[in-house]
Amino acid sequence: MSTALNEKPNAESLPASSGAAILQDGHYLAPPEDKDGKLWARTTALIQGSPDDLYALWRANENTPLWQEQIEEVVITGVNTSRWTMKDGDKTITWNAEIVADEPGKRIVWRSLDGDINEAGEVIFEPAPADRGTFVTVLMEFRIGKLASAWETLTGRNPKQGVIENLRHFKALAETGEIPNSQTAPHGDRGVVGKMKRSLYGETIPTPPGATAV
Amino acid sequence: MGTSKVETLTVPDPELVNPHDAIIKITRTAICGSDLHLYDGFIPTMEAGDIMGHEFMGIVEEVGKDVHNLKRGDRVVVPFTIACGNCLFCKKKIWSACDNTNPNAHLMEAAYGYSGSGLFGYSHMMGGYAGGQAQYARALRQRRPVEARDGPARRESALPL
Ligand SMILES: [Zn+2]
Ligand SMILES: [Zn+2]
Repeated sequence: MSTALNEKPNAESLPASSGAAILQDGHYLAPPEDKDGKLWARTTALIQGSPDDLYALWRANENTPLWQEQIEEVVITGVNTSRWTMKDGDKTITWNAEIVADEPGKRIVWRSLDGDINEAGEVIFEPAPADRGTFVTVLMEFRIGKLASAWETLTGRNPKQGVIENLRHFKALAETGEIPNSQTAPHGDRGVVGKMKRSLYGETIPTPPGATAV
Repeated sequence: MGTSKVETLTVPDPELVNPHDAIIKITRTAICGSDLHLYDGFIPTMEAGDIMGHEFMGIVEEVGKDVHNLKRGDRVVVPFTIACGNCLFCKKKIWSACDNTNPNAHLMEAAYGYSGSGLFGYSHMMGGYAGGQAQYARALRQRRPVEARDGPARRESALPL
């Protein structure tokens, strides 16, 4: 559940022999592979909306806490730089990030500069055929080290699954103005086993708020 | 409260979570043949304490800020499938394939390969939502509940959908 990278059916099959770097062009990369202390994630969603609108929603970094899991705050520190804070209970990690390529309506590439996370990522927006919306593809690379102890113990979720879930949240927010959430559903006593299974089901990771008010 | 064990308990009332939610005071609810799959343990990811019931009707008690087609006091039938109304599938009226309403879609992807819509009272992998065999339920994405017209026949029955 939280271990395997689940490639979506829309993902293009990739040439296996390429040695290209991840940030060049997501479509001609070798399939994500974990080696040399790196974790890769790649996921695609078909989202109803124009590439321009979806780009704008993603690019508004200060709103990221509305749809990315456990992002407490993003402070814009420059045209292309921002400071990110992730929080769980009394544990906090922070890092600075910069946007290294920014093509409105097409793609955004970013990387962390310093701090508790070492990551780089790219999001690509492409119109789907026959007015079916926009394919949004996210590629991310994490270097394990601090990250493994920080993010994974913080979230209880493999960073790869976190990337998949965050794109799912982004799609729901873009299409519906909210993110589905069942975490406050009333229930009777769960017992010991039921409580343990909440974590197995990923239900202990707070669903991002999506909208700001009900 | 476990396989082959169902009981009535007092639990907290549901609350609005998202802007398109509505709280429904339930007047009629059904026990469905497919509840037996949950009761028997045939559908995985049912847990102790889960509230069943996926066919219910009632009176709108409270609506979220983005619900404009319903108001307090309206009588509604709530569909089993929770459908966002905006995704590619919903645009084609394939409501049960809505891909925006299951917060636990990753569980369905692991078990079935792909997730359908979230469902009321039908296991954690199909959303983890509380069902309608209760006094109140939180209904979601309520642009699509069927309005129950006045008339004794409709008011007195909740049909499996
Ligand atoms: Zn049924
Ligand atoms: Zn939908």
